[in-house]
Amino acid sequence: MTYIFISLAVYVIALALLGYLGYKKTRNLNDYLLAGKEMHPVVMALSYGATFISTSAIVGFGGAAGQYGLGLIWLTALNILVGVFVAFVVFGKRTRRLGHSLGTSTMPELFARRFDCPFMQGYSGLLIFVFMPIYASAVLKGIVDYVSNYLGLDFGLILIIVSVLTAVFVVTGGLKGIMYSDAFQGSLMFAGMAFLIIYTYSMLGGVARANEALAALPSMPGVAEQTAGLVKGGFAGWTSMPETGSPVWWNIVTTLVAGVGIGALAQPQLSVKFLTVKSDRDLNRAVLSGGIFILFMTGVAFTVGALSNVAFYNATGKIAINAAGSNDGIIPVYIKEFLPEWFGGIFLIILIAAAVSTLNALVHTMGTALGRDFLKQSLKLKTDTMTLTRLSMLAGLLLSVLLAWLSSKLDVSMAIIAIGTSMFFGLCAATFLPTYFAALYVKRFPKKAALTSMITGSVSSLFWLMFVQEKTASSLQICKLLFNTTSIVKGTALNTLSMVDAIAVALPLSIIAALIGHKAFARSEADTVDTVPAASAD
Amino acid sequence: MFGLPDPSIWLAYLLCIGSTILCVVYGVLNWNKDGEDKEEGKQ
Repeated sequence: MTYIFISLAVYVIALALLGYLGYKKTRNLNDYLLAGKEMHPVVMALSYGATFISTSAIVGFGGAAGQYGLGLIWLTALNILVGVFVAFVVFGKRTRRLGHSLGTSTMPELFARRFDCPFMQGYSGLLIFVFMPIYASAVLKGIVDYVSNYLGLDFGLILIIVSVLTAVFVVTGGLKGIMYSDAFQGSLMFAGMAFLIIYTYSMLGGVARANEALAALPSMPGVAEQTAGLVKGGFAGWTSMPETGSPVWWNIVTTLVAGVGIGALAQPQLSVKFLTVKSDRDLNRAVLSGGIFILFMTGVAFTVGALSNVAFYNATGKIAINAAGSNDGIIPVYIKEFLPEWFGGIFLIILIAAAVSTLNALVHTMGTALGRDFLKQSLKLKTDTMTLTRLSMLAGLLLSVLLAWLSSKLDVSMAIIAIGTSMFFGLCAATFLPTYFAALYVKRFPKKAALTSMITGSVSSLFWLMFVQEKTASSLQICKLLFNTTSIVKGTALNTLSMVDAIAVALPLSIIAALIGHKAFARSEADTVDTVPAASAD
Repeated sequence: MFGLPDPSIWLAYLLCIGSTILCVVYGVLNWNKDGEDKEEGKQ
């Protein structure tokens, strides 16, 4: 306990100081929304990384790796290759140049000005505000689950404390304060995860021995009985990919890997970070630290999640999910049972840091999406932008807290955190990715084509999530109410589709809509704004 | 490799390491490139 209180006190004081520094240096709206466009590349990279990686990645997806195995490492590979390299080099540089030349401060505003279509700003803003709370609530649930489990305190109480901390910090500090604190929190996360992987491997006798023990685990006495249900779904051990085409395979490949791996490219809270640096050089430099950072975050969380099965089995004879009681409980219980007590305290801070650094950005983005993009620019409200944004932030946070509380009542065997995260990432990819790419790379791309793609992506994605994909449709309950089933294709010849994630259907549809729209509307729009940023030597 | 029998898993690890090296090499090679912002310079 002493370790926890000392670490908590140091952490809160450091955050308060950084928040104050951000507050002091915030003089105008530009500072509040874009951190004055003068962030240091390392601060930017750490802030991007700390926003990208939340408790959802560490606890939620780490727990998913504990259940499904090391197949999740493909997600780490995509996180680095797509989430950092492609995001910074292919999207980041042009986003920064286009954003600065159009004078935009949010992703919806970038679309609206690039395509000269104010409707896009309101539509994207509203969509972000309505659905981002699902992701924010998954992040909240991740941290609150851990803290309440570790300290033996009530879920509701911890939920209120974390939300108040986030609210005070984000609403006052603006993006500058957020980015300073992100960099501090990112450094903490890096050191903690490095210790976690070294300790886990040395506890289990080294890299090769630990991996061999994990590979041999399915044939150990008593394990087959515990994995019977999973094996029926296609699970083939923690060091193998599941059987191709099986429910577990579809879940890992389309929801967890493709959804989050590709979805990261079109995340409004991440793309806004590109607007906070001064030059392309800063983004070049940020790629270096960003790549290493992500490897140590998700790479370590997924590896340790899977290896925890060996530790749990050796100590209790149970596999991780049975020993921990739930998918989302695997990482918290593993840390509590197998790591030194002092690390438990530090890890608690690391997770709070991971949660707060992502929540900060999400609340900031929900606030700008509703306040600036929808209420101010679309509905033309007279109240000033800063006040509207602050009030919207509070509304977004409240909505997320409510959802987190409701999700704590759902079935614990579901990977709720991981599902909530990939739902939002998938929705963003299907809605924004083709339009975002066209905005940056296609000259004279018609606004009607962009709108068609955006609407096709969002509508098909939501339809799939609510009526076809069984995991999400059954949690959202709308399909059950209307058709009295958990998926409209269940029990029909198209049953396999109920296992396919929305992104696998909605993103291709959205791309096709963009291509058809480009052909159909190309000639009819002579007035299309042509502001694709000039390619540089990159 | 490293006690992992299934190539589809160690290939994923190799891709992780390879992608990280790509990020590091890219960052080092372009450390001082594109420092001037042409578009902003015009404003």
